[in-house]
Amino acid sequence: MINLRINGDMRAVDVPGDMPLLWVLRDILGLTGTKFGCGIAQCGACTVHLDGIPVRSCLLPVGTIGERAITTIEGIAETPNGAKIQKAWLDLEVIQCGYCQSGQIMSATALLNVTPNPDDADIDAAMAGNICRCGTYVRIREAIKQAAKSV
Amino acid sequence: MTLSSNGMLIRTGILAVIVIVVVAFFWFVVGPGPLDFAGGKTVAIAAYSGANPTGVPVEFAKDDLVTRGRYLTQAADCQACHTTEGGLPFAGGRAFKTPFGTLYSPNITPDRETGIGTWTDADLLQAIHQGISRDGTRLYPAFPYAAYTYLADADVLAIKAYLFSLPAVHNAPPANSLAFPYNQRWLMAIWSFLYNPDQRFQPNAERSPEWNRGAYLAEALGHCGDCHTPRNRLQALDNHRKFAGTVVQGWRAYNITGDQDTGVGAWNNAELTSYLSTGHATGRGTASGPMAEAVDLSLAHLSATDHAAIVAYLRSVPAIPSPDLPAPKAEPAPAAPKLGTPAGIDSRGQKLFAGACAGCHDWTGVSPLSPLATLTGGRAVNDPSAANVAQIILLGALRQTIQGVSIMPAFGSAYSDVEIAALANYVVARFGAKPSAITAEEIAELRRMQ
Repeated sequence: MINLRINGDMRAVDVPGDMPLLWVLRDILGLTGTKFGCGIAQCGACTVHLDGIPVRSCLLPVGTIGERAITTIEGIAETPNGAKIQKAWLDLEVIQCGYCQSGQIMSATALLNVTPNPDDADIDAAMAGNICRCGTYVRIREAIKQAAKSV
Repeated sequence: MTLSSNGMLIRTGILAVIVIVVVAFFWFVVGPGPLDFAGGKTVAIAAYSGANPTGVPVEFAKDDLVTRGRYLTQAADCQACHTTEGGLPFAGGRAFKTPFGTLYSPNITPDRETGIGTWTDADLLQAIHQGISRDGTRLYPAFPYAAYTYLADADVLAIKAYLFSLPAVHNAPPANSLAFPYNQRWLMAIWSFLYNPDQRFQPNAERSPEWNRGAYLAEALGHCGDCHTPRNRLQALDNHRKFAGTVVQGWRAYNITGDQDTGVGAWNNAELTSYLSTGHATGRGTASGPMAEAVDLSLAHLSATDHAAIVAYLRSVPAIPSPDLPAPKAEPAPAAPKLGTPAGIDSRGQKLFAGACAGCHDWTGVSPLSPLATLTGGRAVNDPSAANVAQIILLGALRQTIQGVSIMPAFGSAYSDVEIAALANYVVARFGAKPSAITAEEIAELRRMQ
């Protein structure tokens, strides 16, 4: 059994240690808000947080997580920056098809955790690993700035 | 001056010239053997006071011949060269691109037509010790018989027993395509005369049993020097610079002498053992390319006592600095992308890193995903040639480690030579101690070598 701290709850899962966290979240625990995109850490759709740091869960072996706290899109509203990002996303209608947006919100929240007032270069560097085929990048950039300004 | 004293002078002069020529021949052309650095007296195995350094470690000693042969086959890493990517083990056909043309490894499964199924014990001993095939033709020293010559007869025969226990695979590898004069196999008789001592391992009487076991593992079985020792113009190992590092098939095999800054002198025993047994040591980096293969197919399968023996032996090899390498930078890069990037680096490198690399390797270089993906402290990012960084970007990594699968995607077909050069230089500048300037032309050359 592997014990995981997910969105504040302790969950025990009976899986091999080399199973990617994404599989555990979606197929074992039913937390399907985190999406599978490419499976090789190149698209960002599967982004979750480990102790506030964005990681690609498709390549993260679940046995290596240990005590680190996992936050998924289901739990991000409970964090101050996550709530601000989600509100800005809604206010500016960032989402189009939505498939990549869980990952976008996780990466944007992680950016604000480290850089409370990001400029364009900060946003580009932090968000470059999250790909959106609908082309919502302009609205994402705007929403991150709005969230940074909000109290 | 009398006539006779004049003649004496001439004779002495000629003798002196001959002595100088012979000494120079042995010093510059032949050079020292792989174990000559150790000095001291060697003795027959029977006369050595310690445990026999050949064979399998004590915990495998009671196993049957095939099981012992498997251990020795892994220790000699036969599989790496005698298997193509995705091919059946030991069925041969792997291409070795040399400056003289392409060589293909033979099939060493017991297939009677295309493998070694009809070979006798004497045939295999002759091939492994002398580099002479069953039909009398000479083998090329890409097959490391100048190292395997040190193998005990019993160990060669145990390897044979294991190979003959495997399923026969019918596979005839392509013919070699070597240019004249390199396609003249008989020339290898001269090479062998100069560089193959054709003698079995003899323990060093003044060294510990552990050292002697390590020497047998590293020299006779593991043939570490075939990648880590530079070669002379005749493609023989130049043991004046033993283990000082060189380039093999476009990958840099780094300095593994005891040099503090550029070798492994600063590594502690636990780090060396961890690297040999898992291909990774915290703060020292992760093996990739041919070394990852050597770990996963060979070194990882050795016993703990054998790992310790190799470490003890490595420690005794004289330190030689690599003047082009800096001491590795141990500190992670800043978390903010804007910080920690030196000026004058092609900005495309950063853009590519942001999109393709930061997700796993992080802007700090310390991966939140896997210790194997941590860049900080590794030799590749602390190598101003950027050769291995470029190689792993081009080829990626797919390692079947004993801890599980470890992957990095290959970007060779996604990015141009210019882009890969920019990315490699960015990675070295951000995470290493000294910037690099690899060019698109050099990336193209690496691709040609694949």
